Amino acid sequence: MIKVRIPTPLRPLTKNQGEVDVAAGSITDLVNTLEASYPGIKSRLCDDSGELRRFVNIYVNEEDIRFLKGKDTALKTGDEVSIVPAIAGG
Amino acid sequence: MADLIIPRQILDDIITHAKELTPYECCGLLAGTNGVVSHLYRTKNIVAMEGAQNLSSFDSAKAAHLERLSSAERAEIAFVMDMQDFSSAKKDMRNNGLDLQVVYHSHPHDPARPSVTDIKIATDYEEIWPKINLPIPAYLLVSLMNSEPEVKTYWIKSGSVTPADVLIR
Repeated sequence: MIKVRIPTPLRPLTKNQGEVDVAAGSITDLVNTLEASYPGIKSRLCDDSGELRRFVNIYVNEEDIRFLKGKDTALKTGDEVSIVPAIAGG
Repeated sequence: MADLIIPRQILDDIITHAKELTPYECCGLLAGTNGVVSHLYRTKNIVAMEGAQNLSSFDSAKAAHLERLSSAERAEIAFVMDMQDFSSAKKDMRNNGLDLQVVYHSHPHDPARPSVTDIKIATDYEEIWPKINLPIPAYLLVSLMNSEPEVKTYWIKSGSVTPADVLIR
């Protein structure tokens, strides 16, 4: 299983869970699996073509997937995935 | 010993960035070692991008307010940092042995102190920094509401704001 950290703005979609466990072999797989359990989450993370939106980062074990293989980044049991919302303010 | 040492040139660069973007908010990062700032990274404010407000930690009232505004109006009262820029900066910091020291942004129409939204989001972010291997930064604000720019720096921890002791040299 992969441990996925869910940031505060997405917790209303995950029944307020800050961490969820998902079985997935890649980031694409993980996003689709999350979407099946928590409908609506995929469109918050990815644009219509499936690319990661510019106001979110996904880290696998502290490395940004943009510097790995993007949405094709492979995952293995024990990996930790953090969904990180943009730094923001008013 | 000051919490942070910021070179005059970098402070001037932040003010230049703020002035270039006014009436929109600018944002960026400062990095260095042991509290001594040596690098500035400008990042884009992408609050005007569709959906950006939904994935930031804006409270529902602020998000609803932003929703009612035009793209340009949103960028006058809020910022959302481009996380591609953030990641590139983070990688450059790692390659150069630097640590994140400061997150900065401008308030074109308001004082140089954190808004309620700034405090909420900084507090939400406290749990994120260690997970992406970065220290909790100070927050620097530039106000352009008066003719003379005003710059102030704060620590925001557990929802409370305290001024940071900054030496400019």
